[in-house]
Amino acid sequence: MSDGPGGPRPRSPREELAEGTPHGDVYLGRLIRAQLRLALLALGAFGGLVGSLPLLFLLWPGIEDVELFGVPLPVVVLAAPLFPLIVVIGLLYQRRADALDETFRDVVSHE
Amino acid sequence: MIAAAAVVAVAAGAIGLGLWGVRLARTTSDLYVASRAITPWWNAAAISGEYLSAASFLGIAGLGMKFGASALWLPLGFAAGYLALLFFVAAPLRRFGAYTIPDFAEARLSSPHVRLVAAAVVLTIGGFYLVPQLKGAGLTIGSVAGTPYWVGVVAVAALVALTVALGGMRGVTYVQAYQYWVKTFGIALPACILLVYLGGLPERAALFGRELPKAPADGLVVELDDPQRVEFPARAAFRLDGRPMRAEAGEKRVLEGRLVLPAGTVVPVAEGTDAERGEDWARPIERSGPASPVFVYSLLLATFLGTMGLPHILVRFYTNPDGSAARRTTVRVLGLLGLFYLFPAVYAALGRALTPELYVTGQTDSVVLELPQAAWPGLGGELLAALTAAGAFAAFTSTSSGLLVSIAGTLSHDVRRVRGGGASAAGDQPVERMRRFRWAAVGGMVVPALIALSARELDISVLVGWAFALAASTFCPLFLLGIWWRGLTARGAIAGMAAGGLVASSGIVATLVADPAPTTLGALLAQPAVVSVPIAFATMIGVSLRDSERPVGTEETMLALHGPEGLGLEALRARG
Repeated sequence: MSDGPGGPRPRSPREELAEGTPHGDVYLGRLIRAQLRLALLALGAFGGLVGSLPLLFLLWPGIEDVELFGVPLPVVVLAAPLFPLIVVIGLLYQRRADALDETFRDVVSHE
Repeated sequence: MIAAAAVVAVAAGAIGLGLWGVRLARTTSDLYVASRAITPWWNAAAISGEYLSAASFLGIAGLGMKFGASALWLPLGFAAGYLALLFFVAAPLRRFGAYTIPDFAEARLSSPHVRLVAAAVVLTIGGFYLVPQLKGAGLTIGSVAGTPYWVGVVAVAALVALTVALGGMRGVTYVQAYQYWVKTFGIALPACILLVYLGGLPERAALFGRELPKAPADGLVVELDDPQRVEFPARAAFRLDGRPMRAEAGEKRVLEGRLVLPAGTVVPVAEGTDAERGEDWARPIERSGPASPVFVYSLLLATFLGTMGLPHILVRFYTNPDGSAARRTTVRVLGLLGLFYLFPAVYAALGRALTPELYVTGQTDSVVLELPQAAWPGLGGELLAALTAAGAFAAFTSTSSGLLVSIAGTLSHDVRRVRGGGASAAGDQPVERMRRFRWAAVGGMVVPALIALSARELDISVLVGWAFALAASTFCPLFLLGIWWRGLTARGAIAGMAAGGLVASSGIVATLVADPAPTTLGALLAQPAVVSVPIAFATMIGVSLRDSERPVGTEETMLALHGPEGLGLEALRARG
């Protein structure tokens, strides 16, 4: 780990991060923004789907007369299929978020 | 009798696991966070076990029986709250490595004043949430063992205080995971058997609100020991203590004694309960009234954003070994909760057809406990009722002990430090800290138990809804802005939590005192999140932007929150 012949060795991303230099802050800021974008995207997907349900039920007169297996449609929609959907959204998010962390780890340890 | 035995068995199992945990709880670090060595599945079951309270086990089915499909937003919001937690909070908070919410607030904003405010909010939310659990305990033990209300409250309060004081969190983690399975088994098995036994969903007209609930073919007998205000939705002829009487449609009466309704009579409903049918029952949203769009969206917002601010849930995320494990745990929690929440609606729908007497007494909260025996008189029904009683018992005890861990932690750790008592960590013996935690666990139970004893009239689900609204208006903005925005300052955080907390609690107090009509304004007061959450965020951002006093070391804090594990920074720092 000695300095190269041409003067002080340029610092690695890891050192920049550990010392909190402006460069390190840029690396970190990039990761935070990427994670926040992902979180907001997932939030938008979930919010758009579930958030529009009350409006849908409100604006669709007679929806309670539509039946599935003898159960009113709004009850069917709210009682079961949304829970697996939540798990799927969560799982997709978790994979992407872990992948972003992994990429960051690669960048930092690449010296 | 069988039900009482089942409850005792569940309690014995919990105590046994708690005592087993004591042997493992040697140091304070064990007590607080169970050494962070518990696998994601154990953790997820423990989090779900802690989360599924009386409101989930009894309240959802009871509300569904009372208000129909509009009650189904509640479990959806309860589960989806973990999505918000997953997206914004789980991994960063775990990496940050603070033990409690006040710890996080002080470390992120480098201000002991924020810690004090956060500690006060923890105690308020914890108290709000603990009272309805104890209330549910009093009612359930009363219905199982025939004891007065106070016996159940005192017995469960003592049991929980003992478990927490002896086992701390290590014991509690295994107890909580065990309680999750008791609850899921207790609600799922009777529901499945009832559906099969009744031939799938039976073609009973009352089931999905096509007709008003009626007395069954052999008539309906309801013992009203106390005077009960009821309203007759339709014309009825009935007997009260043997005397024949009549009531017109829409008539209100006060009834007391032995009420006998002949077969096919539309049952009278307790005051405050709606005899809904058709569109009113099967539509999850209405243009006005208690299911108005403002109320539904406000409730969804409170539960979605409030979950991350429940102190007893967050502390559990520190038992994950790293940030990625915290994410994996949360996804498993979503699955476990989704499994549980499939079943309460079954009780709500069947209860409408099979236990109409609960409309007369207004006690729809106990439909989960009463339904098995109503559907299947005899030994089979009794066995199933024992399962639901055991599940309900698991619900109060698990949520209460989780809450008590955070209340005791806050009392023994945060409040003491701010009062200047905790000179320094160096002179603080682990034995002494553990003793303090134990005393705080016993002391922290006293006030909520006293309130629960005197607050029998307060509705379980209403109190729990308020706890969510408070959490969404205080800790949610603290986390979202503290984790994702460098600009948050201590003054901004305090002002925002105060503003959000005040707006939310004034709505709650106004509802308690004035009991406003179910207009849009009334709905806003009863569930104020849609107003109080934006106010909290706006105040926090606005005050922070004007505040010149930035917390020190924000960049380092951000690195601790968002930097993935395994970067090898520690070694570099130590060398440098």
